[in-house]
Amino acid sequence: MLWLLAAELRKLIRPLVWGTGLAIAGFCLLITWGGANNARSALASPRIPDVCVRAVTAQCRQVSAHAHAAARTAAAATSLLAQPGEIGHVAAGMLASVPGLLLIALVAGGHWGGEWGSRTIRQLLARQGRRTWVLTVKWLTIWAAGVAALVCCWLLLAVAAPLIVAGAGLPAADAPMWAGLGSSASAAGRAVIVLGLFAAVGTAAGAIARGQLATTAITAGSMLLALLVAGIASIGRLSPASFVQAWMNFDAAGYLPTNFWSRFVSGGQQPGELAGLIGIVLTSAVAAVIARWRFSADVTV
Amino acid sequence: MDVISCVGLTKRFGPAVVVNGLDLAVSSGQVYGFLGPNGAGKTTTIRMLLGLIAPSAGRICLLGRRLPDPRAVAQAGAMIEEPAFYPWMTGRVNLEVLGATGGGCVPGEVARVLSLAGLSDVAARKVKTYSQGMRQRLGIAAAMLGRPPLLIIDEPTNGLDPAGIRDIRELLCGLAAEGTTVFLSSHLLAEVEQVCDRVAVIAGGRLVEEGAPAMLGAIKRRVRAEVRAADSGAAARLLARWTARYTDGQFLVEHDSGRDVNGVLMAGGVIAESVTVERPRLEDRFLEITGKEDARAVAAGS
Repeated sequence: MLWLLAAELRKLIRPLVWGTGLAIAGFCLLITWGGANNARSALASPRIPDVCVRAVTAQCRQVSAHAHAAARTAAAATSLLAQPGEIGHVAAGMLASVPGLLLIALVAGGHWGGEWGSRTIRQLLARQGRRTWVLTVKWLTIWAAGVAALVCCWLLLAVAAPLIVAGAGLPAADAPMWAGLGSSASAAGRAVIVLGLFAAVGTAAGAIARGQLATTAITAGSMLLALLVAGIASIGRLSPASFVQAWMNFDAAGYLPTNFWSRFVSGGQQPGELAGLIGIVLTSAVAAVIARWRFSADVTV
Repeated sequence: MDVISCVGLTKRFGPAVVVNGLDLAVSSGQVYGFLGPNGAGKTTTIRMLLGLIAPSAGRICLLGRRLPDPRAVAQAGAMIEEPAFYPWMTGRVNLEVLGATGGGCVPGEVARVLSLAGLSDVAARKVKTYSQGMRQRLGIAAAMLGRPPLLIIDEPTNGLDPAGIRDIRELLCGLAAEGTTVFLSSHLLAEVEQVCDRVAVIAGGRLVEEGAPAMLGAIKRRVRAEVRAADSGAAARLLARWTARYTDGQFLVEHDSGRDVNGVLMAGGVIAESVTVERPRLEDRFLEITGKEDARAVAAGS
């Protein structure tokens, strides 16, 4: 199985994977740049009600002071989040939410669905008839691509985010550079679990769709549908998207967003952290059963 | 020992029976030809042999193991139809990946098969730049990876120029001489005639003829005797001891000795205008066999 794993990892060295990884990394950089600029704008001109802009009453002075303080707090929070230790939250959150889902969908489409589209599945199965092994290794390698993207994004942001924040003129963070490393690592570890779920969905999608575009569409579409369902108060808590939200415990976004997920999930009663993990594991198991069932069918491409 | 053994192999796709009760036995070291027209069930049979599709009925033993045992398939080298590769990789890397997929190869194995397939010079080029012939050669190289005891090859000379066809033919003969069993599906009858020890002809999903090429009806000699129209009735009575057909003033007698045919005619008082012994081409016989099968199928359908 290790030989097979090595072979499948080697197949990941391809323009599609590099391109997708670069796109995700670029997106993370853009988000950080946008967040820093928004924080700077807010610092320069805090939100003060129009009525208080020209008034010099004591109440308005208090409102203005509050607004400035809030802007300074938000800017400081942004600076802190952009520290190399804390920025892992952004990388983890992005990869465990919609951007990561899209990355996994594209990789699953090319790496797994593409085997059918290009008919290389015949060569693959003619040399390795253990279909369970093939499925397992495909899942592991799609997952590995996601984890590699997570690590790369964190490393890239760890270097670039402090420079972006400094360039935006935000005040320096009042904390050591590696503050928050532990909690970032914890978030990254949780994101790895979520990436495993996305990869399981991608693997099942490939076994069902047997084509590159259809695999990408089913992977992304099924989880985006789960996000929509999560917004329905009555059944939302049973959606896999709610499991991800509960497990990742995504916060509401500040100037520098740490995810693209929480805004889609309803504020109704949500499962707890453990229930979220169990839900993720069960959803992955269901995806695995579907994938194995579909993959046992005849290969006629 | 039979390297390939199929008993009652049947495959249905819905109501269509694509392979119907096929029995095959391929012995070790043979080059076994598998002939049939388009839609005869050749590729479906090969897919079943490789475990890509499951038979609806019957059983397959490959290298002593009964399918769907994946170890059996892993021991066979295979090339199915037009071989497909990862276009963003070089030819060499494609083979390395395929070797690893099957459990790894000994060092130098990829270079060996590239050399055998005549691809050493282009091994560092990406496969997307390969011509069809080069892909075909790469497919054969991939099938030979790891010196498998059994090669299952579907249309190996598709897209090759005459020199390439000769190279592949020599390569297959060389592999057979080293003890590799080759199961060769082809529509090129000349190729099968030159390379194969045994041939199976399949039509309509059924085995219609099987044996050594020289023993098949295809290769049996026949006698063509030309007689005057006035003598045709007498000649027909005299030649009735053999299977004979009369067309255009000539009798086509299913017998391999012109001397015997002429002797019978002479003894009966019929002087033949000419007596010739002919060796029909496998192609003619093949069309004859498969044509009969098609006619049977049409009759059954009506």
